[in-house]
Amino acid sequence: MANATPPRDPYEDKLDNLTDADIAVILAELRRRLKAPEIAAAHTCIRCGLCADACHYYLTNGELEDVPAHKLNLVLAVIKHHFTPGGRLAGGWVGARKLDRAMVREWVDALFGRCSGCGRCTMNCTSGINIHGLIRAARGALAAAGLVPPELQSTVMMAVERGNNMGIPRDEWLETLAWIEEELRTETGDPEARIPVDAKGARLLYTVNPREPKFFPLSLLAAAKMFYAAGESWTFSSDHYDVTNYGLYSGDDAHAGLMSDRLVKAKEDLGAEVLVLGECGHGFGSTRWEAPQWLNKRFPFPVKSVLEVAADYLRQGRIRLDPSKNRKPVTLHDPCNLVRLGGVVEEQRLLLTSAVEDFREMTPNRQKNYCCGGGGGQLAMTRFAKRRLSAGRLKADQIRATGAKIVVAPCHNCIDQLIELNKEYKLGTEVKTVIEVVADAIVLPPRPA
Amino acid sequence: MATIEYQGRTLELNEEGFLANPDEWTEEIAVVLAKDQENLDALTPDHWAVIRFIRSYYEDKKLAPMVRAICKTTNLPLRQIYELFPSGPAKGACKLAGLPKPDGCV
Repeated sequence: MANATPPRDPYEDKLDNLTDADIAVILAELRRRLKAPEIAAAHTCIRCGLCADACHYYLTNGELEDVPAHKLNLVLAVIKHHFTPGGRLAGGWVGARKLDRAMVREWVDALFGRCSGCGRCTMNCTSGINIHGLIRAARGALAAAGLVPPELQSTVMMAVERGNNMGIPRDEWLETLAWIEEELRTETGDPEARIPVDAKGARLLYTVNPREPKFFPLSLLAAAKMFYAAGESWTFSSDHYDVTNYGLYSGDDAHAGLMSDRLVKAKEDLGAEVLVLGECGHGFGSTRWEAPQWLNKRFPFPVKSVLEVAADYLRQGRIRLDPSKNRKPVTLHDPCNLVRLGGVVEEQRLLLTSAVEDFREMTPNRQKNYCCGGGGGQLAMTRFAKRRLSAGRLKADQIRATGAKIVVAPCHNCIDQLIELNKEYKLGTEVKTVIEVVADAIVLPPRPA
Repeated sequence: MATIEYQGRTLELNEEGFLANPDEWTEEIAVVLAKDQENLDALTPDHWAVIRFIRSYYEDKKLAPMVRAICKTTNLPLRQIYELFPSGPAKGACKLAGLPKPDGCV
């Protein structure tokens, strides 16, 4: 049996022993990623403080280090020192700071440890500075020097090396789908009901969070039931079904692009018309909005959230919902990357108001909603877990104020945080995806005898 | 770093309550973790069937098993797994089986 003292964290050792060459790598990558608006931002923050009241970290922890302008300034000070004439010549007078070991530690603590990339500060910025974008660029600069916290980096590398972020072997993915197909047949009473895999020429290629097959496959059953009810032509890919993209969180554009490109290739190989992204906030933001930049190409086909697809079914009468199947009060959490940063806002509301009897908005909601605290890689980064849970207090308070018994979130990352908040703050709620609630309300079409 | 006390020994937990050193796990420690982390005062034979399977799978493959494998081996229906471990298969069952936290959105 091993002794009780775990070995010293190699990441801490790395931060203690940074070389000038490491610093040069960080600066070169930061410089490469900065465009004119980011450099201009170095001079346009007017310290108004509106971002402080926008940030769930500051509103719960209240430390100066939590203020978005402070986090931003850590990046801007380095930009000034290294990349502007004023910073080079007048240094401290213009708030410039050299990137040294101590500053790298401050970057890691603030940019990885106190930010979920939710973009609420950016939305409230008087000067229109893309605060969360600059923080991501600085994360990417740290990534170039191998300085992403290892718990986050391991999730990126698991996806890169094994095709999905939980390392699920292909045969176990297929076995789980076969099992859920049996459940679908029981649920629909139709022995012919199917979960198609690698079906060439299907209209939709559907993608999911590996957390679903690994631990929470009821959401797979829900989506399959909805596609069945709508008479949809759809398929999974046996290899590339992972909608997540932790490269968005680590800031590593090369790996992020590689992951999105796999989904695009799977769509092309199967000849599907639409790439449908499952309930995953950052996965939607990554492949719908960021991937064309990462891959430097336009996608000549639609990339849609499954919520958009489901809302179309409802509008077109392809599915029928009976709200009396969901009687408990329901509230909705808006994932930052899907709603504020992603633009999918009303579809989930159309679905829920049709699928449940008692729908209650949280306050604030839609684009103004607070982050649950689990985004930005925070769920992966165990070293910052205490802060993540305390920053989630705001979300817990929002949920409690609605009196809802079910919290719905169209994002598996948010859902994991919400399950933890439920336990930590004793909310006494169930947590579900939108499609799970929709599937519970579906009135199946009568089957021909 | 949080700790739990067990037979006069102090075991370290990471920030999320997983054993800092998974090799230290024993069935007695699972009982302590169940109480301390999951508010489970007693572990039933069904809990044990799940925990023992997860542990043996992990010792063989260094990974958490799919929930499919858990259900197949224990003959427990899927929904019952979530009732037995309210924090879910990862943060509930795998934690009690002494596994490190799995990668991904958990």
